[in-house]
Amino acid sequence: MKKSKRSKMQAVSFTLALSLLLALTVTACGSGNGNSTAQPNSSPNSAVNEPGGTTNETNPAEEELKPEAGAKLMVWEAKEQVEYMKQLAADFEKEYGVPVTVEELSGGDQGARLATDGPSKIAADVLTLPHDQIGQAVTAGLLLPNDVFEEETRSTMVETAIQASTYDGILYGYPKSVETYALFYNKDLISEAPKTWDDVVAFANTYNKPKENKFAIMWEFVGYYSYPFIGSFGGYIYGDNNTNAKDIGLNNEGTVKGFTFLQSLKGILPLNAGDITYDVKTQLFQEGKLAMNIDGPWSIAAFKDHVNLGVVPLPKGPDGQDSVSFSGVKSYYVNSYTAYPIAGRLFAHFASSKENQLKNFEMTGAIPASIEAGEAPQIKDDPIISGFFEQFQHSVPMPSISEIKSVWEPLKAAFVSLWNDPGLDVKKTLDQTVTTIQADLESK
Amino acid sequence: MPKKIGAALLSAVIPGLGQFYNRQWLKGLVFLLVGSAGIYFIVYDLTGYLRGLITLGEFPSRMVKVGKLTRMVEGDHSIFMMIDGLIALLALLFYTAFHVLNIRDAFLVGAARDGRWTIHSFGESLRHMGRRNFAYLVLAIPFVAVVFLTILPLIFSVFLAFTNYADPILPPAHLVDWVGFGNFKKMISLDVWSSTFGGVLTWTLIWAVIATVTTYIGGVLIAVLIHQPRVRCKKLWRTLLIVPFAIPNMISLLVMRNMFNNQFGPINSYLRAVGLDGVAWLTDPFWAKVTVILANMWIGIPVTMILAFGVLTTIPRDMYEAAEVDGAGAFYKFRMVTLPMVLFATAPILIMQFAGNINSFNVIYLMTNGEPVNPNYQYAGHTDLLVTWLYKLALNQSQYSFASVIGIVIFLMVATFSIWSYRRTRSYKEEDMIA
Repeated sequence: MKKSKRSKMQAVSFTLALSLLLALTVTACGSGNGNSTAQPNSSPNSAVNEPGGTTNETNPAEEELKPEAGAKLMVWEAKEQVEYMKQLAADFEKEYGVPVTVEELSGGDQGARLATDGPSKIAADVLTLPHDQIGQAVTAGLLLPNDVFEEETRSTMVETAIQASTYDGILYGYPKSVETYALFYNKDLISEAPKTWDDVVAFANTYNKPKENKFAIMWEFVGYYSYPFIGSFGGYIYGDNNTNAKDIGLNNEGTVKGFTFLQSLKGILPLNAGDITYDVKTQLFQEGKLAMNIDGPWSIAAFKDHVNLGVVPLPKGPDGQDSVSFSGVKSYYVNSYTAYPIAGRLFAHFASSKENQLKNFEMTGAIPASIEAGEAPQIKDDPIISGFFEQFQHSVPMPSISEIKSVWEPLKAAFVSLWNDPGLDVKKTLDQTVTTIQADLESK
Repeated sequence: MPKKIGAALLSAVIPGLGQFYNRQWLKGLVFLLVGSAGIYFIVYDLTGYLRGLITLGEFPSRMVKVGKLTRMVEGDHSIFMMIDGLIALLALLFYTAFHVLNIRDAFLVGAARDGRWTIHSFGESLRHMGRRNFAYLVLAIPFVAVVFLTILPLIFSVFLAFTNYADPILPPAHLVDWVGFGNFKKMISLDVWSSTFGGVLTWTLIWAVIATVTTYIGGVLIAVLIHQPRVRCKKLWRTLLIVPFAIPNMISLLVMRNMFNNQFGPINSYLRAVGLDGVAWLTDPFWAKVTVILANMWIGIPVTMILAFGVLTTIPRDMYEAAEVDGAGAFYKFRMVTLPMVLFATAPILIMQFAGNINSFNVIYLMTNGEPVNPNYQYAGHTDLLVTWLYKLALNQSQYSFASVIGIVIFLMVATFSIWSYRRTRSYKEEDMIA
């Protein structure tokens, strides 16, 4: 008896050992992927010119920047622009002999994908980011600065676009297109576009019929769309052009004034903030029940065939001041992990040229960021686009510092709660909002 | 010194030596080869990775300017190093297990020789393996897969809770560091975090209980109702009631989101048409909670109903007949026969559903996205569950370390509750229902 038990034990342990052998062969392949961590790439204290410092003027290759031998590029592009991008890629290959493949990836996802795929070396060499996403990408060291073409970019693009593509004083982006929201209005319902909020209120008093879902005007109660009630009254999010997170202006006198004015509009839009969603207002505007809609150029296609459409800048405030909107700037950026940094720069520069921005406008309706392209007749004479362009002149770029993430949710909460409950004390609520934002900044 | 001790000691020093000492040449050779390969990798490869796991990198990547061109100098990527280190750690554990087994083998064979029993030849050992221990061999590969594809990511996400990996400390331009229990302390001591955490946790538990109870009771009741002998067209009713389950809940939830719109949704339109005021379904904190519970019932009741159908058909008829002989009415038959049988069979599922409801991401995320917003919360709304809050923290706010802390809390909650209550069910104790 004992004997058989013994031999069984032996066999078991031998088997287990052999199974482990199998396992080990698998794991040995798994963990041995070559690059030993014991050797850093260079000593940490070698002399380095910090980017943004003075540049040496001794650059022999400046005049003739050539793509690397055997370079090939991959570009991420959102669905609506893939067609345009494919043409652009073909043009680029004709000119520089560098093949470019286009991979579809929606605009909002590119930043997150870059964070994971960049260091793994499988991300696109050139990508498009809305400027409010660059803070995080720069912080993580995922983008190459726009260094070679810096002066050219600065001299050819709209100032707002430059500001938006810059982070910590360093220019990273090659501006592609700009966008802001303005006032869409239905010419069949309101003959003359309102110039001021007083005109809007006067019209609303004659038009509103909540029982029939007829409303004069709607906008979404999120920080982005409702910013005019802050910016037009002397309020701001962060100080120094939204770069100084130590200085929060969301409970200063201007913002309080703006929110008080906002509450005074409850009479012309007697709805809960949560009921006004993008879907709801889009549908009402299409059905011809909503007379005015604050929205951006991305919705033109949805309204064009349904509504006798006009676009004008946002109504002026109670003191006759222009309404300040938030603008977004999309720019091309070069992935810092690209194998072909020169070719990548050349492509981003090529794609952001005046001609290509105009071609993009023709194919997809993207509003150019280039000064010269903005003066082209096809932009100037377009009744819809010119309205956006005019509003763009009174806009500030959305903050791009990563601290802005602490703002959106609390700010939205402030808008929603102050709108839904006109009895709330504006100053107190805003103080609470600022406290929440500060607590969040400190927790990081 | 007895042979077993000698063999074990020799094998402990170098794998295979003890086997040689036991005159098992081939087996010894196999062990020696595997052991030396393992030790080679440990010395030359794994130690570097393990050091990386401890330091999490020494030099971040940075930009260097040469003339006009900026170049990136690649540095250490803390997160990649953490994963590499974990793989190395697991490989080390595998090797340790192998080493222990080789000592054990030498010891056992040595003991067999001490006792003058016959020793297996290599061929015999192999045959034995193929016959009696076939299971170990076959399971080895899936076991490795589970370790590296399931357990490793789990450990990785637990580890994140003990680092400072959160915006703005983002690799590769920054190095992530171990911070011990710092995040947990913050969670408890910082007011904004602790009040949000408390509020969201409370609502999560309330939600899990109500959601489970409503769907369970609803499902069982409907099943019993349809099961009544007097009901005609059983198949038709069954099919109709399965439909909500058959439609992907992503679609039905997004449709409901529009249906429940306070101003423009059809539900309030009907209510107004009959002269009622309508309810702020999604915008009022209390009603929003009611709405998600209702939506969850719509999705969850069919599942329990199907289960209950299955149980109901297995209840022997003679029990009902016996109950009738004893003079039981319909209600008593339901209480004393049907309900205990259904409960007994579905209790484990009830627990599964509870655990699932703690993490019912879809209903909340698609229906309300955690709204209405709560200005006193940190990135969470009134209807956010822990799991949707975690999602928002990780994906919208890049607060990976905090998200991971919440992940651990969720895991502990679900695990302890599930194990505790599962062990108390009768089906676990394998008692018979009808003793």
